[in-house]
Amino acid sequence: MNVDIKAALSKVVGAANVSDDPAQLQAYSTDFSYTAMGMPNYVVKPASSEEVSAVVKLCSENSVPVVPCSSKIHFYGATIPKEGGVVLDMSRMDKIFEIDADNRRVRFEAGVTWKKLTEELAKKGFRAIMPLMPPAERSVLTDFMEREEPTNQVYDYGEPLEAMEIVWPTGELFRMGSASVNGYPDSMSKGGNPSGPGLDFYRFFQCAQGTMGVVTWTNLKIESIPKIDKILFAPVDDLNYAIDFLYRIMPRRIGQEVLLLNNVDLAAIIAEDDNDLLRLKETLPPWTLILVISGLLRRPEEKIAYEENFLAQVIRNEFQDLKLGENLPGFPGLRKKLLPMLRSPWPAGKTYWKNRYKGACQSLFFHTRPLLAQQFVDIVGDIAARYSYPICDIGMYIQPIEHNRACRPEFNFFYDPKNENEVEAVRALYNEAASVLLSNGAVFTRPYGDLAPIVYEKAASYAITLKRLKKLFDPNNIMNPGNLCF
Amino acid sequence: MAISKNIYKVLEAIVGPEYISDDPVINESYRSGPGGYENGLGYERVMTTIPGCVILPRTTEEVQKIVKVCYRNEVPYVPYATGFYGPRSHPHVEDALIIDMKRMNDFILDEKHFYVEVGPGMVYSPIQEEAMKHGAYVVIGGGGAQASAIANLLGDGWSPLSHRICLPHRRILGTELVMPDGEIVRMGSLATGDDPFWGEGPGPDLRGLLRGFTGVRGCLGIVTRMAIKTLPFQPERLVPTGISPNTALALPEKRVKWVNFIMPSKKEQVAAMVEIGRAEIAGAVTKVPLFWRAIAKAEDKEHFWELWSKENEQTVANTFIVRVLLIGYTSEEQMEYDEHVLNDIMAELNGKPTRTKPSDESWIKNADSAGMWLMCGGYVSVDYIIETLSQSTEHGPAYADLKKKYTPPLMPDYGDPGWFQSFECGHEGYSEFLIYWDQDDDTNKVDQFYLDTSKMNIKNRFYTSLLGPHQPMYLTGPKYGPNYHLYFLKIKNEFDPKWMSHPPVPLAHDVFVERAPWMHNMKDWESPDDLPK
Repeated sequence: MNVDIKAALSKVVGAANVSDDPAQLQAYSTDFSYTAMGMPNYVVKPASSEEVSAVVKLCSENSVPVVPCSSKIHFYGATIPKEGGVVLDMSRMDKIFEIDADNRRVRFEAGVTWKKLTEELAKKGFRAIMPLMPPAERSVLTDFMEREEPTNQVYDYGEPLEAMEIVWPTGELFRMGSASVNGYPDSMSKGGNPSGPGLDFYRFFQCAQGTMGVVTWTNLKIESIPKIDKILFAPVDDLNYAIDFLYRIMPRRIGQEVLLLNNVDLAAIIAEDDNDLLRLKETLPPWTLILVISGLLRRPEEKIAYEENFLAQVIRNEFQDLKLGENLPGFPGLRKKLLPMLRSPWPAGKTYWKNRYKGACQSLFFHTRPLLAQQFVDIVGDIAARYSYPICDIGMYIQPIEHNRACRPEFNFFYDPKNENEVEAVRALYNEAASVLLSNGAVFTRPYGDLAPIVYEKAASYAITLKRLKKLFDPNNIMNPGNLCF
Repeated sequence: MAISKNIYKVLEAIVGPEYISDDPVINESYRSGPGGYENGLGYERVMTTIPGCVILPRTTEEVQKIVKVCYRNEVPYVPYATGFYGPRSHPHVEDALIIDMKRMNDFILDEKHFYVEVGPGMVYSPIQEEAMKHGAYVVIGGGGAQASAIANLLGDGWSPLSHRICLPHRRILGTELVMPDGEIVRMGSLATGDDPFWGEGPGPDLRGLLRGFTGVRGCLGIVTRMAIKTLPFQPERLVPTGISPNTALALPEKRVKWVNFIMPSKKEQVAAMVEIGRAEIAGAVTKVPLFWRAIAKAEDKEHFWELWSKENEQTVANTFIVRVLLIGYTSEEQMEYDEHVLNDIMAELNGKPTRTKPSDESWIKNADSAGMWLMCGGYVSVDYIIETLSQSTEHGPAYADLKKKYTPPLMPDYGDPGWFQSFECGHEGYSEFLIYWDQDDDTNKVDQFYLDTSKMNIKNRFYTSLLGPHQPMYLTGPKYGPNYHLYFLKIKNEFDPKWMSHPPVPLAHDVFVERAPWMHNMKDWESPDDLPK
């Protein structure tokens, strides 16, 4: 790389928005994962789609790697440059273009954070369904492109992303779905459909970790804020019993947010401080079922009533051992505390809940059938024991998906990032667990870091097809090289 | 190149002599039409031909072997399931091999995890029947219950039930695709195992190759296996009644109910859809054109015209019906809640309920595609697009305006502005515009109208379903994306460099315009000289 690149980049975005200062570059060289450090050569902060386009075109012509980076907080190593190059920091692109109340849609740029979006939507009576307590400074667009599962699974649509704009790895701007019409957004088409034109190009960008191009803005479905909410808890000793209950109620479209957390994860979320975390970890039930029922804009009490009546009937007749109530026994303050937490991002100034216990966390997550969740818990427990990782220290979170026809178990291995032995032990544990889980049917849709070669070795024909596809659009392999199978 | 005896023998060895034929009588039975979708139009006359040979594989491995033989020997082939899409499902070049998928009709229902796993020969009818027996349901698209579920999911897959059920591209789970060169790609959970319950990845999602809203008509390979998401329904039995063709499902009224409302104007009609979506109630919400009512009531063609001739421009312009399906997904009490909310909305908007039969004749049972041929014999939808209610409620009038110029030969319909409805609880809106013509008329103007709608959509900045192979790609390509056609063609050339999988799709409509003299004066866009022949 030579100085001409810096000059050319400066010409596109302005000198103030290009840096090769090692101190600044350092901030992009690591994240909250144990992924090896990787320094970029430059960080560039574009302010518009056109600037992104020009930067990517320049890099493509000069075979300079480009690493899109929309968030200020990362957990999986995906934005750490593996081969140097330019970090494309999208934080200046943080405009919310429009909130369309009639079509319940918001259009915003890649740099818009959870904090900004939730606050702006709330002013107009709307909310976005969200993953479990995403960091306030994290990009909303990134989370949905990477398909973080929302805690709210009552909506049949599943994927809230709508039409979006991207920059191909060769620098061309391209709009997908119904935003592809000439002149959008000054058009009859409002961007409600992500599909097309011609092919479902948007699919290639999902779970792509920035390897297929840069998404600059998107449309997203939004929902009205409920008038009334009730959060319900059930202490759970027998995971299968709770999952059977979810098989029973979720297809009946009961609940907004529904999730299962073990004592470790729930403690990390609700603890006031370190001592409280340890106390809660010891005293919380092994699992807690969390279920929110809501009254919507019209006749909210009536809606709450039919859901409560249904739940009462099912519990009375079929699940007498499930103690579902507005309070978790022994934790009377939880009701008021947890509901706003489920509807808000994790505050920026507060250590992220996954890092509270030991400073860092390696999350292993996948998709499976709910009835297999306990089996995977057992497998992970066995492997952890072999690595002398205390089973009682593993955080576990099970997110039911799509009326509980599937679920996403997540195992959180907490560790001290300053202790090299601990880092290596967790890494070895993670890799073996991933391999064993994969061979037992776990479905890894987002293979980050070490997981990628494990998964793509098994998905060889898929990987070959992906490589052929990627080469068409990114002949010089500039987009975030060293990730996935690229 | 014609299919030689040697190649025939190789293909015969793959499937056995019973399942391959080049008998002209058999080949003739695969001719496009008569009486099919788009039947009799120029596209069919100019672009379709009978196959040189027909083969019926039973397994993915057989499909793979067939495709590899074709590819090596440069035999063009066309995957064919149930053929609703009329001429666009038929060979466009001489001596092509039709790979008829109807023997691949395996069907597994996983009721607990809400999906069915099917082969491309499996049609919707038994899927819906079995799904409903187990507390689930599927959308039966406009192709009807006799359509291949996979083919329908790849190019359609919606109905009024889409007010609640998610869009078709989101119901495609684990999928197996034989690529144009014979390589097999398994997507979603099938990529790393044999369980099809999950659709995406790993990593970038190759389901992007499968469709693109209205499908690619088999030009990027053959889907041999797919898991399709079903959605939870309600537990009561919907009892079949009547004698074919006048069949229906009797509805358990405390759990499933259609309700029609007459609205004062279009403004309230649209507002009702917005409010119903915002309230997150109902299983279907759609406009009912007067036209539909005449079709639904008519016993035969003459009866239709008798009913329709009582209408006029005023009645068509001033009738605003909203039809709502209430479903007690949770309980009878939930159904009552939905009904209360619905009545609140209608009271605010002065919607007046009308008598509605406690039965379903179409959307749950079978989708009423057959009635569309009733009036004239010729029928095609010139758009069927999912966007927002903002677009969908304005889209039809633009079509109706353009249509005046082409009526006749298009059927006079008193300026009917088509159909719109709510999708995904009002997050999206759907519009469809159908045209009818008498096949005995000169239909060149119908072909011209079809193409002119594309120009109208470009000019008015509407999103449209008729992209990809459904209109000239060199016309639409520069105006959508822009240049989506270039990216599409890159993919086509990479995975099918010899263009053996249903040639010349996706450029078939471009070729049609070149070949049809009556289309030449409409061509005002650039296209390369070397379009495939």
